[in-house]
Amino acid sequence: MKKSILLASALIAGLFAGSTAQAAGRDYISIVGSSTVYPFSTVVAEQYGKTTNFKTPKIESTGTGGGFKLFCSGVGVEYPDISNASRAIKKSEFDTCQANGVKDIIEIKIGYDGIVFANSKKTAPLKLTRKDIFLALAKDVPDPKGGDKLVPNPYKTWQDIDPALPAVKIEVLGPPPTSGTRDAFVELTMETGAKTFPFIHDMEKKDKNMFKATTQTIREDGAYIEAGENDNLIVQKLEANPSALGIFGYSFLDQNADMIQGSIVENESPTFENIASGKYPVSRPLFFYVKKAHVDVIPGIKEYLAEFTSEKAWGAEGYLADKGMIPMDKKERDSIAEAAKNLSTLTMK
Amino acid sequence: MESLVETANPGVLSAAGKEEILSEATSKALHQVRETVGNPFVDNPRMTCREVNVYYGDKKAINNVSIDIARNEVIAMIGPSGCGKSTFLRCLNRMNDTVEGCRVTGDIRLDGMDIHDRNVDVVPLRARIGMVFQKPNPFPKSIYDNVAYGPKIHGLVQNKAELDEIVEGSLKKAGLWEEVRERLNQPGTGLSGGQQQRLCIARAIAVSPEMILMDEPCSALDPIATARIEELIAELREQYSIVIVTHSMQQAARVSQRTAYFHLGDLIEVGMTDRVFTNPRHQLTEDYITGRFG
Amino acid sequence: MKQPTTNPAIDKVNRGLRRRYRAERRFRICGATAIITALCFLFLLFFSIVANGYKAFQKTYIQIDVFFDPAEFANENLATANFPGLVKTSMSSLFPEVNSRGDKKELFYLVSPGASFQLMQLVKNNPNLIGQQQSVWVAANDDVDMLLKGHIDRTRPETERRVSDKQLAWLDALAADGKIKKTFNTTFFTSGDSREPELAGIWGATCGSFYTLLITLSLSFPIGVAAAVYLEEFAPKNRWTDIIEVNINNLAAVPSIVYGLLGLAVFINFFGMPRSTPVVGGLVLTLMTLPIIIIASRASLKSVPPSIREAALGIGASKMQMVAHHVLPLALPGMLTGTIIGMAHALGETAPLLMVGMVAFIVDIPHGFTDPATVLPVQIYLWSDSPERAFVEKTSAAIMVLLIFLFLMNAAAVYLRKRFEIKW
Ligand SMILES: Nc1ncnc2c1ncn2[C@@H]1O[C@H](COP(=O)(O)OP(=O)(O)OP(=O)(O)O)[C@@H](O)[C@H]1O
Ligand SMILES: [Mg+2]
Repeated sequence: MKKSILLASALIAGLFAGSTAQAAGRDYISIVGSSTVYPFSTVVAEQYGKTTNFKTPKIESTGTGGGFKLFCSGVGVEYPDISNASRAIKKSEFDTCQANGVKDIIEIKIGYDGIVFANSKKTAPLKLTRKDIFLALAKDVPDPKGGDKLVPNPYKTWQDIDPALPAVKIEVLGPPPTSGTRDAFVELTMETGAKTFPFIHDMEKKDKNMFKATTQTIREDGAYIEAGENDNLIVQKLEANPSALGIFGYSFLDQNADMIQGSIVENESPTFENIASGKYPVSRPLFFYVKKAHVDVIPGIKEYLAEFTSEKAWGAEGYLADKGMIPMDKKERDSIAEAAKNLSTLTMK
Repeated sequence: MESLVETANPGVLSAAGKEEILSEATSKALHQVRETVGNPFVDNPRMTCREVNVYYGDKKAINNVSIDIARNEVIAMIGPSGCGKSTFLRCLNRMNDTVEGCRVTGDIRLDGMDIHDRNVDVVPLRARIGMVFQKPNPFPKSIYDNVAYGPKIHGLVQNKAELDEIVEGSLKKAGLWEEVRERLNQPGTGLSGGQQQRLCIARAIAVSPEMILMDEPCSALDPIATARIEELIAELREQYSIVIVTHSMQQAARVSQRTAYFHLGDLIEVGMTDRVFTNPRHQLTEDYITGRFG
Repeated sequence: MKQPTTNPAIDKVNRGLRRRYRAERRFRICGATAIITALCFLFLLFFSIVANGYKAFQKTYIQIDVFFDPAEFANENLATANFPGLVKTSMSSLFPEVNSRGDKKELFYLVSPGASFQLMQLVKNNPNLIGQQQSVWVAANDDVDMLLKGHIDRTRPETERRVSDKQLAWLDALAADGKIKKTFNTTFFTSGDSREPELAGIWGATCGSFYTLLITLSLSFPIGVAAAVYLEEFAPKNRWTDIIEVNINNLAAVPSIVYGLLGLAVFINFFGMPRSTPVVGGLVLTLMTLPIIIIASRASLKSVPPSIREAALGIGASKMQMVAHHVLPLALPGMLTGTIIGMAHALGETAPLLMVGMVAFIVDIPHGFTDPATVLPVQIYLWSDSPERAFVEKTSAAIMVLLIFLFLMNAAAVYLRKRFEIKW
């Protein structure tokens, strides 16, 4: 009895001592942030870990917002060095960073990700507009009978929205509110779709909150089903239910092209080329942010940047493209790679 | 003493109320003065108890009991179920300390030493006053370990040989040696009920106590095992004081020198066993002994 | 059978008899149905997991002839040698007719990017290989693996599968030459996580789980048992202990993520322990399992018959001796069962670990309590979240491994109970 208590306390003491010693110096890069960037940064990290003498970075998938929260908490080995993001840093996040002493931040744009609306190959692909998607998924929509008034979403089938669409029930598997994919989806599709109605367009200036509520609130009557945001189970669900539509990043479509197909949005199908050229309308840039103060403290950050911004990684033929990331054009890549090399920091007014 | 009945707690009162079905004489006796009949005191006692009261919560279970326990005697405690025999017995080695909500007042002395004194440690006290329980409760260990446990924890032995000696001696005294000498390493719980009870007695005497308290030690045993234990009690008396609680009047008559009769928490009568059984002085004692209630 | 009697009471009994038996039969049928339904679901679950995952225990390899060209090893540092180049040369030599840049890329795509690391390892272990020709079995790319396991349908139009017609032709040629084989997937059991499904394994997560649970066990068992013993045997029964008891029972029902938040605030932010490490994870899981262990331990202490306590106290054992010599040994099987159930609980937990950063991509195998690590259920979660098709079967396979661990732990609980149970 006594012995075991002694042993346990010795163990605890040892652990505390050991762990604080460990925290004093970290010899691996700590990365947090977006789950959309996660599949890309992990590939880079693995490649980097295997081809250099540095340890493989540790990457947590915390979501973009969660990542910034950790990233901006302060400078020091206990805070992450890099934050991945599926959108640019917000002013408020930048200010938090500044307030916590994270002064110099290096922003690196890495490429694009398309958001696709995919269904099973067993049925025909849908031809959608962003307005269709807004009408299908918003909680309140403009009255179909006309007039500048919002009514609870009455649409049951796609055909109710547009006679050209098939008469199948609206059933969409999409990301939960916590995810960056959801943010991007709301911003790129719902808002743009809503703004095709002049009175909602005007609302943005007159009543910002009302506009947000109108465009961002997704219906809750079962037509929209929250699924994992990047979940390979979604693909199986779509396969099992051909009338359902799934919302996710392009890489899932790329990996499962034999089972699912992307809907055509505004007459453009979600192909690699269309997203890269910007023709496909629902795409977003991906970033990661580096704490400059850590660059010379944590070994290997520069080399990680070099690996990420190398042609063999993010180039048109690089391994990130193989994983489904849409590269930027060569000119942009070159200028960003240069900036990364010089560790140029971000400023925000 | 009249006031005692009135101020007695509701538990006692309601119990008294229930006894309306009893004979008039009995119920009358119930409300009589509760002074112990007979002489509860002896010369040169091993243990003295004065004005002992025991409460469970606010229910009084023992009421103002005073009695002496002599050296080398067997004293039997009899009385109807629930009258407080076990409770009183457990006061003598402070086993009531372990009962939640149980409070003991009064003065109990072992060889003149107040057992409730702040400086008295219950551990050696219980080593001096052994206890055998109503239900045999050997430890789930080997027969040997059961007997050896007490000497071991009290540090009574220096080496294995001494311990072996004590174990053998105790088992012999308890009359169990012949039956178990071949299987000392088998679990004590594997013995028969009577053997288990004798094992418990052996366990109690292995620490060489001065007194042994026995709470209905034979209630679970057949007549043969009972006879064995009674023989044993008679032998043990040469060295120890023994307090035995029993429901069997024959047993009390057979093994004890003195008998104490309890009724609803009161000590009604104490006297030499022969006298109490042949010529009870108190009505309640007589009713109990002649089997009119209890 | 009804027996005619003259006793009216028995007649009444007989009349009621049939109803009583019927009630009993109904209850038995209900019980059996419930059990059978549960078993069916369990079987369905196991079946779907096994059906999805059993193929992950096999892995496809391609044989290539590598010439360890001394020219490539001019530099002292092995890591700088062009191993990918060696792989590419070897692949090209298999199909000399492939010339165009695009086709070559497709050809090289057949083998895993891990092939070059495999060669590097070979040379590291045996520098004499330099200058020699050797045939090596290297891992095939995950898409090839999927194709050969039948997860990619080759009858589909070329654009709809991740393996092109040309690649199909090469693979068929390789297969005809006996240069493709499927063997037991040792990588899966020996390596850490990877973004290449063919290189990913569960050893890293298993080690992480091991270190984490070791911390949890070595803290929560002694603390839990000590707390239970104190509360049950020593603490006075009053309002405070009642409050403590209610709180412990409540804690057992608190959602596990709350413990993660607590761990984040206390261990990481306050004590400054490193994120994502088994120490922190183990401490968080300790908090989570403590109430379970305390409750189970108290229950098993309660079930020790009071007569044993009285026996011990009656011959003058101190309270501590009574507990240590008699009560604890009798309560131990129950305590161990509770502990193992708590541990199994901890083994399957991800939510609280999310908060302390153990949901992370970690390639290197952890070698201690302060190396960044992840645990088995987190690995399952991460793989289920990966786009590559090949991770689907990996996910199921990892679930199988987790289930086997859970099964072993529960079996251990049963064994320990049987082993230490003392009959009386
Ligand atoms: N732990 C306890 N808590 C509360 N009351 C108790 C407790 N133990 C005994 N009592 C009460 O105290 C009174 C005396 O009980 P005790 O066990 O001493 O009777 P007894 O004379 O030994 O009876 P029996 O012959 O049936 O063993 C009874 O009314 C009983 O209900
Ligand atoms: Mg009794």
